[in-house]
Amino acid sequence: MAGTHIDNAALFAVLSSVADNKQAIGRRYAYWCNGAPALEAAVAAAAMAQDELGHARTLYPLLEDFTQAESVPSQVEPMTRTLHYHVVYLDHDFQGWSDFVATNFLLDTALTTFFAAAQNSSYEPLRQRSRKIVHEERIHEMHADGWVRRLAKAGGSVRSTLAASLFRLWDETLCWFGPEDDPNMQSLYREGIIDATPDELRRRYLQKIMPTLSSLEIDVPVSFNADTKCWELRQSLPWNIWDSVTRRKSVG
Amino acid sequence: MNSMIAGTRSRREALNETQVWHVYARRKYEEPLHEIGNVMADDVELAKVYARSIYDEFSWVEMVIIPRDSIVTVIES
Repeated sequence: MAGTHIDNAALFAVLSSVADNKQAIGRRYAYWCNGAPALEAAVAAAAMAQDELGHARTLYPLLEDFTQAESVPSQVEPMTRTLHYHVVYLDHDFQGWSDFVATNFLLDTALTTFFAAAQNSSYEPLRQRSRKIVHEERIHEMHADGWVRRLAKAGGSVRSTLAASLFRLWDETLCWFGPEDDPNMQSLYREGIIDATPDELRRRYLQKIMPTLSSLEIDVPVSFNADTKCWELRQSLPWNIWDSVTRRKSVG
Repeated sequence: MNSMIAGTRSRREALNETQVWHVYARRKYEEPLHEIGNVMADDVELAKVYARSIYDEFSWVEMVIIPRDSIVTVIES
């Protein structure tokens, strides 16, 4: 079997992080299956938790095919894996429904942006999964957009709590794509595994989320460039506290 | 139990979730649409998400939602 293994450290690292984030999102969503503001939202939360865990379960087995997994086979099984390359925001339980909404709107959309860039991937297993995940995520995006609008328009403390949740997740989500010279993402781009560099992924991501945030006048450090017709970050991201191996903020 | 119901009601009111949507679906093309239930949501996109996630017991070939306030009574019960 050794001869059939794939030797690609960059792809192994990024897939590990995507799978860990999907797994962690699913687990956090699951806590809200009976805690959402309405019965309908609770049922939707349960369905979305299933989807996210399902996405993780289709990604972890891919790791077994890599030579990078041979030295520590326990790290490619979600039940035995001790490494956690998901964002720090998911280390702890959600503090409220607004954290659920922010995770769906910001983080899950960022991961979907990655999968969208892999729909014509040169790595066939990822290509197949990406197309299915992007299709399933349309419902999640409708849920995210609808709930961000509802919480923002409710005003008062409901709106400010949503804004706080979005703010806590903002930097780390944008960092997840990596700096433009991120060796792993650049390697994936060069090998045709994804069709965009980190900056291009971030640009596509902002085009997806900013129309909603802008229409609701939720303040984030992004400006619309009328010349390029693109949303652009006004502030640099905190790369000094971001770890390129774990693809998450440093804790401590 | 009463406090739980009251709490649920107040959260609904705080988020202004009052609109009822009737959900219709069919499993085969040769069947007519029939009512399978309803969902509450003020946002049409959320109503679609809720209808899909709550009434997912079959592989429907078609599902539609209709706002209750658009229904016109012809013969009152």
